[in-house]
Amino acid sequence: MFSYAWLILLLPLSGFIGISGWGNRMPHRRAGLIACAMVGGAFVFTLYALSQMMFLDAAERAGHVLTLYTWVTSETFTLNLSILIDPLSVFMFLIVTGVGFLIHVYSLSYMEGDPEFPRFFAYLNLFIFSMLVLVAAADFFFLIVGWALVGLASYLLIGFWRDKTSAVLAARKAFVMNVIGDVGMVIAAFVIFSNFGTLNYLDVFAVAPEQMRTNDDAALLITLLLLVGAFAKSAQLPLHTWLPDAMEGPTPVSALIHAATMVTAGVYLVARCHVLYELAPYTMYFIAGVGVVTAVFAGSMGMVQYDIKRVIAYSTMSQLGYMFLAVGIGVFSTGMFHLMTHAFFKALLFMSAGSVIHALNGEQDLRRMGGLRRSMPLTHLTFLIGALALAGFPLTSGFYSKEAIILSSYHGEMGNFFFWAIAVLTAGMTAFYIFRVYFYTFNGTLRSPEAHPHEGPLALTAPLVALAGLALLGGGLGHWVDKFLAPVLGAAPAHPEDELLETVAVVAGLIGIALAGVIYMTGRDRLEFAKQALAPIYDLLYNKYYVDEIYDFLIVRPTRAIGEFLEERAEREGVDFAVDEVGTQIHGASRGISFWQSGKVRTYAINMVAGLVVILMFVVFL
Amino acid sequence: MLSLIVFIPLLAALGLLFVDKDNRAMARAVALGASSLSFLISIGVLVWFKEAEVGMQFTETLVWVKLLNIRYQVGVDGISVLLLVLTTFLSVIAIFFSLDRKDKLRNFLALMLALEAGTLGVFVALDTILFYVFWELMLIPTYFLIGIWGEGRRVYATTKFVLYTLVGSLLMLVAIIAITVAHYNVTHELTFDIQTLVHTRIDPASQLWMFIFFFLAFAIKVPVFPLHSWLPHTYVSCPIPALVLLTGAMSKTGAYGFIRFCLPLFPEAVESLAVAIGCAAAGGIVYGAWIAVAQKDLKALVAYSSISHLGFIVLGIFAHNGQGIEGSVLQMINHGIIASALFIIVGILEKRMGTRNLNDFRGLGNAMPVLYGMFMLITLAALGLPGLNGFVGEFLILMGVWTSAMLSDMSTIFVLMGGLAIVFASIYMLYMFQGAMQEKNEKLPDHLTDINRGEAGLLLPACVLIVFIGLYPKPFIDRVSPSVDRLLTLEKTVNLDAGHDAGHH
Repeated sequence: MFSYAWLILLLPLSGFIGISGWGNRMPHRRAGLIACAMVGGAFVFTLYALSQMMFLDAAERAGHVLTLYTWVTSETFTLNLSILIDPLSVFMFLIVTGVGFLIHVYSLSYMEGDPEFPRFFAYLNLFIFSMLVLVAAADFFFLIVGWALVGLASYLLIGFWRDKTSAVLAARKAFVMNVIGDVGMVIAAFVIFSNFGTLNYLDVFAVAPEQMRTNDDAALLITLLLLVGAFAKSAQLPLHTWLPDAMEGPTPVSALIHAATMVTAGVYLVARCHVLYELAPYTMYFIAGVGVVTAVFAGSMGMVQYDIKRVIAYSTMSQLGYMFLAVGIGVFSTGMFHLMTHAFFKALLFMSAGSVIHALNGEQDLRRMGGLRRSMPLTHLTFLIGALALAGFPLTSGFYSKEAIILSSYHGEMGNFFFWAIAVLTAGMTAFYIFRVYFYTFNGTLRSPEAHPHEGPLALTAPLVALAGLALLGGGLGHWVDKFLAPVLGAAPAHPEDELLETVAVVAGLIGIALAGVIYMTGRDRLEFAKQALAPIYDLLYNKYYVDEIYDFLIVRPTRAIGEFLEERAEREGVDFAVDEVGTQIHGASRGISFWQSGKVRTYAINMVAGLVVILMFVVFL
Repeated sequence: MLSLIVFIPLLAALGLLFVDKDNRAMARAVALGASSLSFLISIGVLVWFKEAEVGMQFTETLVWVKLLNIRYQVGVDGISVLLLVLTTFLSVIAIFFSLDRKDKLRNFLALMLALEAGTLGVFVALDTILFYVFWELMLIPTYFLIGIWGEGRRVYATTKFVLYTLVGSLLMLVAIIAITVAHYNVTHELTFDIQTLVHTRIDPASQLWMFIFFFLAFAIKVPVFPLHSWLPHTYVSCPIPALVLLTGAMSKTGAYGFIRFCLPLFPEAVESLAVAIGCAAAGGIVYGAWIAVAQKDLKALVAYSSISHLGFIVLGIFAHNGQGIEGSVLQMINHGIIASALFIIVGILEKRMGTRNLNDFRGLGNAMPVLYGMFMLITLAALGLPGLNGFVGEFLILMGVWTSAMLSDMSTIFVLMGGLAIVFASIYMLYMFQGAMQEKNEKLPDHLTDINRGEAGLLLPACVLIVFIGLYPKPFIDRVSPSVDRLLTLEKTVNLDAGHDAGHH
């Protein structure tokens, strides 16, 4: 009944193939419009699937598996190329194609004039396709395929400006980090297969609760291995270092990859496999712990950066930490809800920042911005809405989703004071750093005199307005999300009510905003003196806790050094030398033997005599 | 039909010797015609091959040496038929790629055809002596191809290669004779027919040394770490068209030998040594990948990456279960396609830039958009991107290793080592691709042109296969699967008491 769902995947794929094949032979604009139409079409089909699903009984909503063909059969296992249509995948489709479509439209104007315009849109389509494969896959194998394709598409997009060395390096870093995650998932698939004899979601999830006891070794192993992939893709500690560097890509890419879609894949994975994770509460605690630590870790780095996109990137990492906290304490649908609102307001923030960068001819340094409130009123407004939502200002979408997580982190079944306190602290930091950016950018006076900022064209601003609407009002969808996802994720736990804790969290956010206002209201840094007083801490934060340097010292350099060592020592002076030595020795030995074959009759005669004597002695004495 | 496939190139090679040395057009036509014809017939074999049927197909038998009952006996099963087509396919590509060679073209082409014939013969031979003859036949043309047309320390390299392989193959000859003697002692029937011999049970002690003799011959050919030291020298010295055959087809003969001889003939020996061999293979996987990370010479980089990928193939074979062996056979095809395409790209770049050193390349992508796209696809396949062919093989192999009963003690460690090598592969392949094609280059030569139609035509089939096998490996696995099944369920019917009274000797 959902067989048209293949079209949702097929449209972006054909867009990718078509544009990468013929994009250079058509006017640039047409290539871009085709790409937009493909994603728009996918969105329309998604809406149709959604409406059809709404009319079904809750029990019939889950578990529609559509098979295209058999991918491989062997004696022991069969893999079909199939997709799973259920509320969770439709929910993810909505976000991917919906926000993706707005980002496509935005890119039409943002990337205008780029000589490689069609290639950019081909990659964008590929990205959407890959992400759809990831969320539509009906088994772990195609999950991995989608997982890796998403990594590929992000690699292509981050390294889109391939003349730039920094972009090339950032792309490679992202790719390699993601491959580490892929390997973890591949091994997880092996463990799943050897335990359950199948890789299909539905089969695995059906037998897992009967076959495994809580905190079984196998359950822990599977869930932890899957997490390697989830953490790599969602930039959680310790696999996060690729994300800030990934800001080398064009801004719509940041919006697409770092807000709406790719980085949320890890959260989706945990929600999708919630049956397995519920069997492994230890892993759940671990997820929540990593999530909450990442949230505060990234938030603290975001407070001191000067690159506007990097601040938002750290903010993404931090918000993902919230989502992992949510799924880690078992409130899966709340995590998915925050995933959705975050997609709205973070895409909005990235695209508003892109609008600013566009107006300032590529300037990304906060210290060279300022006073844009007057010249770019619309962008100012949309950024403000995004910032308020991110800060969890009451009645914005972020308020509802973040409050729900923070409350559950204390009141939930697996919640505790530690999680709650850090979550609140992070909420304060979040409000501080985003309003620091806001005041820096829009208040005071412009600090790059040669620029003449102006509002972008309609294609640039219309998506901003649409997203601003969603970021403001999306909070009302919370109960709908709980109910809609219930067939997959199980009935959502009742939302705890606790006015005291709620107030504390809101106040933390307000304090953050106020502090940022006091310090940066004039669009100027008043903290020079504090910066010097706290220099060690400031340096630590500004240099991202030196994690890159530590990795370089502990992993990258030793790897290279060992590679060179193996070549120089093990290969040349070990294996190769040993083999050559055998040859040399035989050569030497035969030369020694050839001494006897001198061709001199006298020598032969002596040898014969000597030999005779030896034989005689044998005969006589033995 | 199989005889036609093998002997058309061989006869053409002999025929080329009668063509005038300066008649380049004629030499080209003969070489291209012979290899294409052979390729077309092999496609016919693939099409008419009955996938459900177990056992050898297209068999032909002639008595060769009556006294010893040595027969000219050929046939293919699901495993060898794919390797047969791979070889004829790569031969056409390799010969195409050598057409514009300047010096002694005729002789070069003749030797290439002879090499093709030898490799094809190895894949179809069902008589152990015939197998041995073809096995040695591969060696002679390789010796001259590297020794005459090679570069760098070519004589050192080719001598090392030939001596090394010769040591292995002589050991194999001893074991071949020993098996027939063992069979004769029980049945008083003299035969070199591999299909008969596999049913003979050999007592475990003899199995061990015979297995080791066979194993050494094949392991040197593949090569398995640490018997690989001829490979870097040979690959770096070897002219690229010959390298396409060497890496694409010839390295598979060793792996094929494991499947055709070692596994069915010596099951007990395999069982007792599988973990040790797995250690060597997994060690080679990491070792090759790790050295590849530090390479600057593109040829050496691909050479070391080959050591790593071939290690996967060997590991899968000795996992000794369906997934492992099927994955290995598929990976043989994949590696043949990917590695040869990579070497062709190296050849194309070297032709244009006059160097292979990665430090001298940069930003070629802007001048060569078509090569950029193809190179990227092949790079991604080589680093095992899911959705492309390399991943299918690696996934099946590692899954086989993970579930292997024979490697059970070590399988987790082997899989982790494989995973490490996959991470390394993404590092060195991207290093190669990005280093050559991306970033900005101010000193790009003015005359730099994109690949022409002919060169694109050489890479295009590889690109198509990379995507096709990645998306739809079923037809390939379906052909391999019955043969692997038969291999794993083989019953020893002759000399059943050999294992029991072994202790009395």
